[in-house]
Amino acid sequence: MSEHTSSDDRLDELTAGLPREVAPLPDLWPAIRAELAPRSARAAQWSPRWRLVAAGLLVAASSSILTLFATRMRDGVGGAAAVATADRAPAPPRPRAPARLPAHLVVAERGYARSIDALWRTLDERRDSLAPSTVATVERSLRIADSAIAEARSALEQDPANRVLADLLVSNYERKIDLLRRATELAPRT
Amino acid sequence: MARVLSLVRQQESVEAPRLAVGDEALVDRARKGDVDAFERVYRLYAGRVYALCLRLVADPVEARELTQDTFVRAWEALPRFRADASITTWLHRIAVNAMLERRRGDRRRSARVSLVDDDEDGEAQIAGVVTAPDVATAIDLERAIGALPPGVRRAFVLHDVEGYTHEEIATMTGLAAGTLRAQLHRARQLLKRALSL
Repeated sequence: MSEHTSSDDRLDELTAGLPREVAPLPDLWPAIRAELAPRSARAAQWSPRWRLVAAGLLVAASSSILTLFATRMRDGVGGAAAVATADRAPAPPRPRAPARLPAHLVVAERGYARSIDALWRTLDERRDSLAPSTVATVERSLRIADSAIAEARSALEQDPANRVLADLLVSNYERKIDLLRRATELAPRT
Repeated sequence: MARVLSLVRQQESVEAPRLAVGDEALVDRARKGDVDAFERVYRLYAGRVYALCLRLVADPVEARELTQDTFVRAWEALPRFRADASITTWLHRIAVNAMLERRRGDRRRSARVSLVDDDEDGEAQIAGVVTAPDVATAIDLERAIGALPPGVRRAFVLHDVEGYTHEEIATMTGLAAGTLRAQLHRARQLLKRALSL
């Protein structure tokens, strides 16, 4: 090996100055949380049903907020605003070709899609153990969540630099994951 | 590589609070299945793990996936975590293992088995890295590290950036001591050349 030179010192100096931490953006925790298998008895306990309903309402509120933002945005560019309601909800969004979304959201969508798929599989396996009224509540809430996601995505594709919409898209995905997770926790493991 | 460059420019270094007191209790709670405690562990160490992953693979998308895999694996392996071990080292080891497993999978898929993934392409690639006249900056270094051949980059990041010893790196990666020394030497030569040092 060659002896240590001033250029090595300079390289060492630069290396020592590199940041030791870089925050992953957006937050990875919701996707990680969705993949964690319960390890304690506590995690497998039934959650109160009102929490699920509350989660659904939260998603609905998110949808309303999103609609407001989307309306303002589109008014700003002269277009008519679309009003998101459960009745007129678009089909559940699938992560699509990332042509017009910011790169970090494309990455986030992949993680969310993976988590959502995993939770759906779990929920499908346990669906029979849920009361029909609970299933209806979950499905209604998920439709609202999908509507909110689709709405945010559509708006973002028209204005990819809008950070408010980006944050809303992320939070809507996180709420959908939270809703799915709560639903799986309502159903006892078979 | 430009993506790595812009990422490092845009993302702030996170000075996460360290749990000088109560760290063990937090990990112990997470080990027993307390998800809230594990989230706290994630909040404390995600920046360190992501920074390592980003430099190891030089790709933000893969780095995020690796970070996610690392914490999911950590959750599953926590019951076997020894209280006297460094959790940073433990998480880094999981990340390196996850990365190596991906590389092995990639090689199997491409049927391109090679123990030496640091071919001459690396030199050709890195030679064109630095175009700006004001070389020798940390940003240029990030970019140059990202342009290193994968094995060489891995050795440099673990040894020079993260400060692991040869023995620790050998344990993490399974690299022979001679191979590691050669990779480190090559990494420094390539970086010095790229940065015009």
